[in-house]
Amino acid sequence: MTISIWRYSHLTLAISSALFITIAALTGIILAFEPISNKLKPYAPEALNTIYIAETIGVLQAKYKEIVTIEVDENEFVSASVITKKGESKTFYINPKTGENIGSTIEKLGVFKFATTLHRSLFLKSTGRIVIGFISFLLFLIASTGLLLIAKSQGGIRKIFSKIVKENFHQYYHIILGRLFLIPIVIITLTGVYLSFGKFLLPNENTNNIQELTHTKRANIANITDFEFFKTKKLKDIQKIEFPFSKDQEDYFFVKTIQNKYQIHQFNGQIVRQTKRGFAHLVAYYSLVLHTGKGAIVWAFALLMSCFALLYFIFSGFSMLLKRMKIKTKILNNTTKDEAEIIVLVGSETGSTFPFAQAFEKALSMANKKVFVATLNEYSTYEKAKNLVVFTATYGAGEAPSNASKFLKLLERIPQKNELKYTVVGFGSKKYPGFCTFAVLVHASLQIQQKYTPEMPLFKIDNQKINSFKNWVNEWSTLHDLNLKIDEKNVLEKNKEASFNVANRTKINIDSTFLISLKPDTKMQFTSGDLLAITPNGDNNSRLYSIAKIDNKILLSVKKHEFGGCSSYLNALRKNDCLPGRVQQNENFHFPKKVKDVLLIANGTGIAPFLGMIQENNAVNIHLFWGGRTIESFAIYREYIVAALKNKTLTSFHAAYSKDQKKYVQDLLEDQTALIVSTLKEEGVVLICGSLKMQFAAEKILHKIALKEVNINIEELKEKKQIRTDCY
Amino acid sequence: MKTRKLLAILPVFLFLLTALFSFKKNTPTTAYKCLIQMKNYSGEGAYVVISLLNEKGAYEETLFVQGTDDEWYFDIREWWDFYGKKRSDIDAITGATISGGARAINSIAIPNDALNKGYKIRFETAVEDQTYYKDDVEFELTSENMSAKIEGKGFIRYIRMMPQ
Repeated sequence: MTISIWRYSHLTLAISSALFITIAALTGIILAFEPISNKLKPYAPEALNTIYIAETIGVLQAKYKEIVTIEVDENEFVSASVITKKGESKTFYINPKTGENIGSTIEKLGVFKFATTLHRSLFLKSTGRIVIGFISFLLFLIASTGLLLIAKSQGGIRKIFSKIVKENFHQYYHIILGRLFLIPIVIITLTGVYLSFGKFLLPNENTNNIQELTHTKRANIANITDFEFFKTKKLKDIQKIEFPFSKDQEDYFFVKTIQNKYQIHQFNGQIVRQTKRGFAHLVAYYSLVLHTGKGAIVWAFALLMSCFALLYFIFSGFSMLLKRMKIKTKILNNTTKDEAEIIVLVGSETGSTFPFAQAFEKALSMANKKVFVATLNEYSTYEKAKNLVVFTATYGAGEAPSNASKFLKLLERIPQKNELKYTVVGFGSKKYPGFCTFAVLVHASLQIQQKYTPEMPLFKIDNQKINSFKNWVNEWSTLHDLNLKIDEKNVLEKNKEASFNVANRTKINIDSTFLISLKPDTKMQFTSGDLLAITPNGDNNSRLYSIAKIDNKILLSVKKHEFGGCSSYLNALRKNDCLPGRVQQNENFHFPKKVKDVLLIANGTGIAPFLGMIQENNAVNIHLFWGGRTIESFAIYREYIVAALKNKTLTSFHAAYSKDQKKYVQDLLEDQTALIVSTLKEEGVVLICGSLKMQFAAEKILHKIALKEVNINIEELKEKKQIRTDCY
Repeated sequence: MKTRKLLAILPVFLFLLTALFSFKKNTPTTAYKCLIQMKNYSGEGAYVVISLLNEKGAYEETLFVQGTDDEWYFDIREWWDFYGKKRSDIDAITGATISGGARAINSIAIPNDALNKGYKIRFETAVEDQTYYKDDVEFELTSENMSAKIEGKGFIRYIRMMPQ
């Protein structure tokens, strides 16, 4: 399995630093609360942009024997260090207007001290700092490669913010959160690197930036509060003022702002020297503020969220990795490329196309054919081959998967001796705009080669659907006069069979229908509307049932057909019997989120998924339309419907009985035109489950009503996913 | 009757008690302003302990401690041998650590009778992950030194003293 260099780097970097990043993120979560809790303290009673330094100095002078320093921190808390009239040294927060002591300076809590040390040096002193700085840099690289990966899969840097196709939960949120937190994480990592290494690199302040200012030598004693500098500068603009140690005229006031340092003559208030604080200082200052979130609650909160996001990235990243590792991609050939009759070439980015190739190869081998499987990049000359079969996925918006990137060039360069017949099968998801684009390109490129003739049109497989793959295999084998048996289990490796217990079942009713409730043996995720694939013993074909999720159990409604292998098999089951099955996600038919009204339309056993949806409903108005043969047909569902109407999880129920009343579901819809119109207008959703015949009839009515009353046709409604179907 | 007598004695007793303590406290002291200017070293803020040593060179009293986090006090080894055993209350005479290039000004009280008697003042310094200086600054407690500028050997560039 070859994967692209960026994905490989992203993964390698992540694996090598995951442990440290986890520590940093966990401690980061704790530390984010420090600036938040500090900022919330009541030590900023006045707005500092209205107060001049002279005012504060004046009130402090009156209250204390001597002022040593005045400091303003990122929270705009003003603290003063003074010598009291009793002669004691004290430091505390002051009200800058009154000079009053309003609280002792915040001491770092033990938990923050612990978290800080762990966060920046892992308790390993300088070595730890270097390690953390390096990890921070790695995280920056991970974020950058992540950005490239999103750009690649979205089909270009400009499309980074376009809609993401939701294929798999963790992958989807990995990307969504990745985009959202890219900027905070880049800032965190770069400032982190600077804070870790900065002290080793930080040059001393540049002497070139010192400006000696001429001042009158003669001491012209003025009151401190009359100094021009103190009268014109606001408290907001300074970081620290140090008062002169003695009355010696060589002792100055030292004032620090973010940009400058000043020395001020203590007798006449003139600026004696002004030092511009270097670039390195500014970088260090802003790195600290940005990395810690000091003084800015919103940013501290963003940092907090980023830490949570990092933990999720690690979790979801590893879960994706594990999922991928489960898919076998090792190719075992029982012949060489020059011996084989049939060559199977695979193009896959994630490795998920390989199981199909393997299943195909196995089936061919069973039929005594010599097959050789390789990746598209391994394209070569083939001495005895008669057929070429290409299975390829498409990467991003139409690019070659990484193990097929060189194929088109190789095809031009490597001439074949023999004539070959070829077939291309494209794998992908219809949700992507570039569905199977690369497969199309491969098909076309082969076509213009003289030695190649197509034997079948390009075949596209959406979402790794096993049944369409089987259809293709059937077509191909008919063409070659073979009888190939595909072993589904090999293909659906990633969706392993689970084992279920029969928790309950009803007796078979007059329509040969019964309900059966299955409890999974292991914990598993599924939703009403998903499908359960059941393969009866000794059968290669599985049958799909729409499932209702009720109390974490699967409820199926099954109609026993006289010759139906699967329904007979299910009917033979008794309580506590065990059976294997495979849950398939069917996202298109999940209950819609964020809508107010939903219409559920079903006939016969098609009601099953709706029973689960209704049971889980809490705020949506659901109207259920159901068609059965006789009034008695309804009996097995009655308890569910009665309970739902009582609990108000179901708003209304409309039933039609074809044999007893000569009335059909579509007639019910016509009766309820007003309800349908209002639902469609309010962006409500219609779900249809049952027989195809019923689907067509219902859609016809819906189309008529929608066109007339809402001015929209059924195709548009389906496109907008306002109408969703699962019929058979 | 008995309780009454006891109550009458109580004020006397209290007075004696206070007198006893005040007597001890009342050793006359002079307040000095002390400036510590640090060198431009890089790293964490320095712990600085100012102590009074008697004529035999033994610790007599802690005058000031820069650094509030007592879990690091044992890093200041010589002083810790003296302070660590008794752990007298030094809350009133502690301040924050001093970073490289920064300065600190404090008011310290020195007993008058220690002046010009061969007593010494010692400044010990220690920085996390770095060295410890047992006598970064050490000078004899003379009237002359109490308004002088004295160079340091370690993290301290110089200190200055001045009567208040």
